[in-house]
Amino acid sequence: MNRVRTGIRSNVSTFLRTPLDVVLALLLPVVVIEGWGQAMAGLPTMPTVEAIPIDLGRLLGAIFGIAIIAGLMGLTQMISARTADRRLVQTGYPPRTLLATRLATLGGVTVVVAAVNYGVLWLTISPEAPVLTFVFLVLAGLVYAFLGALVGALLPRLFEGSLVVVFLAMMDAFLSGDSPLAADIPEFVEYFPLYHPKELLQEAMFQGTYTTGNLGFVAGYLLVLLVLVTVVFGMTMRTSGGWSA
Amino acid sequence: MEASTTTTGEATSNKVLVRANEIEKTYGSSFPFTRSVTVLTDADLEIRTGEIVGIVGANGSGKSTLMNILVGVLEQDSGTVERTGTVGWCPQEPLLYDRLTVGETFRLFGSGYGMTAEEIDEAKHRLASKLDFEQYLDYRIDQLSGGNRQKINLSIALMHNPDVLMLDEPYTGFDWETYLTFWDLAEELAADGTAVTMISHLIEEQSRLDRIYEVRDGQVYDVTDQEAETDATASERGEATDE
Repeated sequence: MNRVRTGIRSNVSTFLRTPLDVVLALLLPVVVIEGWGQAMAGLPTMPTVEAIPIDLGRLLGAIFGIAIIAGLMGLTQMISARTADRRLVQTGYPPRTLLATRLATLGGVTVVVAAVNYGVLWLTISPEAPVLTFVFLVLAGLVYAFLGALVGALLPRLFEGSLVVVFLAMMDAFLSGDSPLAADIPEFVEYFPLYHPKELLQEAMFQGTYTTGNLGFVAGYLLVLLVLVTVVFGMTMRTSGGWSA
Repeated sequence: MEASTTTTGEATSNKVLVRANEIEKTYGSSFPFTRSVTVLTDADLEIRTGEIVGIVGANGSGKSTLMNILVGVLEQDSGTVERTGTVGWCPQEPLLYDRLTVGETFRLFGSGYGMTAEEIDEAKHRLASKLDFEQYLDYRIDQLSGGNRQKINLSIALMHNPDVLMLDEPYTGFDWETYLTFWDLAEELAADGTAVTMISHLIEEQSRLDRIYEVRDGQVYDVTDQEAETDATASERGEATDE
């Protein structure tokens, strides 16, 4: 029986049978995008604080929304079934195949969440480059999906892991997003996971273009995260059981 | 000292399928002010085809640790484990995916064993009929009672007809009928050459076991003869009283 197909089907069934995850994935983007947009636009003007346009606020909301949902999905994919995963690997299911099915499922969920985010942005802003906007939303989601998976593999506790992902995404979106409240942002913010996806998304939405350097940075980020999560997951699933079949 | 694991060739009848030599295991932590616990020191054990082997011992003596090392899901600190054939492992707690149905669970684990769709289907119906859970094949694991969940836990270990069965208290939650069916099944499998190894707490089961290993003070003792003598003595006392 095809292990990849069976694994992906099992993961998708598990996701769809977790109603809270589905509701969060479909509703949270709407709340976050509009909430973030209104909050940014509603800032009072003060000597050191200037409100940003509502559309930029919505964009930041979209990137935060997809990051947090994809990150939490990545985290739960790694933690919720960890002990059963070890048993599955003991039966002969290769850890890398198992990880590939998990990441493929995460990729699919990320595309769906990105589509919901995109729908909200399309209704409220009308991006200059619709396809690029969607693709960059997916990339931002994938970065956090892989990051969440890495946190889940390293810190297999749902509460503590969720705190890490949520605080990381909030800080990342806040500092990467040219917030008027975050003055004198240090240069290392450029290495934050959302900095370059946000730059790509902003260019695509408002100018209809993109910068290859930003795209390369995001691709590199994804590659490094993929390697790290593969190594860590492989270590956690390691067995010493050599049984001849 | 180094830990090592050896895989030997195909299983044949009347031979040792699992041999553990000088196994040592200590649970430690890299955090300061934490206690390390030595569980196994110099533990030896053999499991042969067609035997029903019991592993007994007090709570916390290291029975599950020993079984996990034999299965290969836990690495020993030192010593060697030689394994032959295929294994079916039934852990103490049902390690299953809560949101999958029973049928989906068979498909996923069957794919892990490398079985075809037809083989998985056959095993599912055979075991469902034997252990009486046919009516629950479309139920999700988290919708099953503890006893039925344990039946699935056991069935996953059995579905590929392994050469060695490693069962950690496999009957927890079973009703009496299922308990008896389980023993019939274990005896059938042993008669067919499967090595059945189980962690057991129940004294009355010991007469069903071909070999009994006791885990005590980190070591493994073959107490089969002692248990037989105890049984004989108890039997003699009973006869004398009756007379």
